[in-house]
Amino acid sequence: MIVSVLVLVFISVKAQDNTSTIEQIIADIFEQYSEDTDEEIDFESFYDELKTVAENPIDLNNATRENFEKLVFLSDMQIENILSYAYSFGTINTIYELQLINGLDMTDIRRILPFVYIGAKNIEYPKIYWSDIKRYGRNEILYRLDRGIELRKGFKENITESEITKPKYLGSAFYNSLKYHFNLKERIMFGLTMEKDAGEAFLNQAKKGYDFYSMYGQINNVGRFKTIVVGDFRANFGMGLVIRQGLSMGKSSYVLNVIPRNSGLKKYSSTDEYNFFRGTGCTISFGKVNATAFYSNRMIDADTLNNSFTSIYKTGLHRTESELLKKGTVNKQVLGTNLIYTLSNFQIGLTLVHTLLNINLKHEIYPYNLYYFSGNKQTNLGLNYRLRMHKFNVFGETALNQDLAKATINGVMYSPVSQVSLVALYRYYAPDYNSLYANSFSESSSISNEKGFYIGAEILPFKKWKISVYSDSYKFTWPKFGVDGPSIGQDYLLQLDYATRRDLNMYWRIRYEQKEKNYLNENQALNEIVSTTKASIRYQLVYTYGNFSFKNLMEYNVVQNYSTAMTYGFTALQDISYRFRKIPLKIDLRYQFFDAQAYENRFYTYEKDLLYAFSIPMIYRTGSRMYLNIKYDLTRNMSLWFKYAQTIYSDDKNIIGSGNDEIIGNRKNDLRFMFRYEF
Amino acid sequence: MNKLIQIILVLLISTNIFSQLSLSIPETNTIANLNVADTRNWSAFSNPSNISYLKNSGFGFQYENRFLLNELSTKSIFANLPTTLVDMALSASYFGYNQYNEILLGIGFARNFSEKFSLGVQFNYSATYFGPEIKYLGVLFPQIGLNLKLSPKFNLGFSTFNPFQQNISSNFSIKRLASVFSLGCEYFFADNFVFRSQIDKEISSNYKFGVGFDYTMLNFLTVKLGAYTYGYLVSCLGLSTNFGSFSFSYNADFHPILGLVSIASVRYDLQKK
Repeated sequence: MIVSVLVLVFISVKAQDNTSTIEQIIADIFEQYSEDTDEEIDFESFYDELKTVAENPIDLNNATRENFEKLVFLSDMQIENILSYAYSFGTINTIYELQLINGLDMTDIRRILPFVYIGAKNIEYPKIYWSDIKRYGRNEILYRLDRGIELRKGFKENITESEITKPKYLGSAFYNSLKYHFNLKERIMFGLTMEKDAGEAFLNQAKKGYDFYSMYGQINNVGRFKTIVVGDFRANFGMGLVIRQGLSMGKSSYVLNVIPRNSGLKKYSSTDEYNFFRGTGCTISFGKVNATAFYSNRMIDADTLNNSFTSIYKTGLHRTESELLKKGTVNKQVLGTNLIYTLSNFQIGLTLVHTLLNINLKHEIYPYNLYYFSGNKQTNLGLNYRLRMHKFNVFGETALNQDLAKATINGVMYSPVSQVSLVALYRYYAPDYNSLYANSFSESSSISNEKGFYIGAEILPFKKWKISVYSDSYKFTWPKFGVDGPSIGQDYLLQLDYATRRDLNMYWRIRYEQKEKNYLNENQALNEIVSTTKASIRYQLVYTYGNFSFKNLMEYNVVQNYSTAMTYGFTALQDISYRFRKIPLKIDLRYQFFDAQAYENRFYTYEKDLLYAFSIPMIYRTGSRMYLNIKYDLTRNMSLWFKYAQTIYSDDKNIIGSGNDEIIGNRKNDLRFMFRYEF
Repeated sequence: MNKLIQIILVLLISTNIFSQLSLSIPETNTIANLNVADTRNWSAFSNPSNISYLKNSGFGFQYENRFLLNELSTKSIFANLPTTLVDMALSASYFGYNQYNEILLGIGFARNFSEKFSLGVQFNYSATYFGPEIKYLGVLFPQIGLNLKLSPKFNLGFSTFNPFQQNISSNFSIKRLASVFSLGCEYFFADNFVFRSQIDKEISSNYKFGVGFDYTMLNFLTVKLGAYTYGYLVSCLGLSTNFGSFSFSYNADFHPILGLVSIASVRYDLQKK
């Protein structure tokens, strides 16, 4: 009887849509991440990696730590437990055995299922023949077109009494991209990406074609070569103190996931125009040692003057003449290497990266940026380690730059009983430490000028319940932008997850954050540093019935500034999704109401979008937002996506956005379309 | 003349307080207007998904009087027809007097999915009298509702009235229509004792939060008690009773500044399923 029930549960879980699982994971991890960083998050690469795993699932009997690390929702401890179980019992015979592994609850198992399968033990990588490319290779062509209905200021002629000036934006209001990917069972991959942002010229006198082109090729597991990349790629090593161009694990409701994943060289197929290398690299395996070397040579955008530049221009937008003048003005060469030595319970790695710019980076000096990188050469060296001892998992990295400034991060995970997992993490990043590619656990967006202590716990107190909690206290020892002196902060999170049945789950999340920032007092010569607190509470319910699924979310926050009265924000939303039975059509609908009195009360809520086009829009002011998202499979090979989103502001302001992106009115409508052809 | 001044004064104050929210949408016969998750009662222009919880076809009439002034009353009629495919309902209301009035018409469709949840959509047409020259101008807008039965005792309701914030505009002025987001729940402590709670937000007005109880003392008699806050606290008391195919309801909202609001309704069920 029990087995029958389990089988039914698993069959229905297995039948879950991979896309929904990936989307939910992204929503869980990145809503909070978006809130804490000003940088654009590249969801595209993240989604691509998980989607590739879903299409080429991990064999539980032959998987390595590296394979499991692709599943970012698993904690390090959970990965160790799965590996340990497989090692202890020889072979995993059935997927149901996942329930016997310590530290995995039903929610985790549901998340894992779309990405794993049970295979025979000890399979080696077979040789690839030319005929395999045709027979098993998967080609994918993606075409995307976006258009905002209301014209922004930059697209309009400026009419004054004396003259009519041309629109600031040189191109049309359409966003357009075209991508091609080829994938042979994750062994051979190559592709091409072309993109034009809204406002960028496509066909005019000066410009013929797309603004951004990117190509990649990657071969995995051929002889001693673990990875060979050519064209555009990213590099990720260690804990990210030296180099991590992919996403690093930050603070989120996955409180134990503090160790970055997916180390090594990876193809780059995203449309982010800054954060990647262009060149070649390879990883060679010598038994227990993996050696990687890479070289990149590419032009980057910057505002140059007198053979130097003050900052790197990272947006990739080339819509106006002034933006075009920044395009490809600085040459950047990067040479890097990494060595990793792995034993069953121990791993140690060494990473060295050297960057050479053809002209000097020179900041206008202020106290806060005194230690920012300047000059044309940068060298970083890092040593990372990981050690498993009984129920302890110890890990960390220490890095130096050319000035011998130090950054170090060290942590320990401990699971005293199967229902409780704990993590503690200490970080110290010297004010004068800098690396152009560092990306690790931190409060601020740069790996510099910060020290902090983080502790997190995940507890499964009763069946169906999970408690996740973290506390992070940090200090910036040197002034930073917007804070004219050393400052401190605290961040706390408590989340209760409750999953009653397969089709119903909910959580309550409470977050409290205290930070310091400048307070401009006109009576004083210097800015005061005062604390700002933000507290928020969120409730989310997800309910599925048959082909319907529903999501309700409510969030309330209050912000207390020293200088202003307490402000509040409230948002509530209702999602309805329906997958038709007889036709390959899926519809998602959302209606969201929001009321955020101040920018500090803003909300980030994940919303469904086109394939690869994730959005966690920042919402503030008062108004409502709705969207309709449609996916229709024309044939087995061809699919269409369509999204229509509308935001209506109901406060007194009759302007949306600012500068060239300004829209007159209180409505903002966006249309998105995507076509995919797989063969 | 005194009466006219009185009406204008009350209109001005109540318009400010209710910010047009209550003027255009009739109140429902659920205590404290906590109708969004209410699976036992349905009134004109309440959550359209709840149409599907009506077992019998029927029709009814509702009279809502504000502050004992006839000119501020809203008259509504409604009818519903359950069918095997989709349940339907018609609603109409009239607010105002000769010189100023608003008419609201709606046709709603709802479907109950195996008692697990119900979905409803209502197409409303709102027309406002702009004087003898322009006469009536109107606009069509949707109202969408959902009621999730998360357990036999607990359900969650959601409704949005005029989600696209459409307005009625003439050459000279814009009449802003209420755009309301509502979220609420219903919990059955027992079959004869129901708790409801709801939060409403009209996009340009204050939050409204209310709680209420229905207690069926006798088979034919239910006592209702509730309160809501809307910048001030309004306590509400009501009774409903049924005799054969007829059911009657009376609710009284005690407004701390403006006085009594009465909502009386009668419904006749054409057939019993």
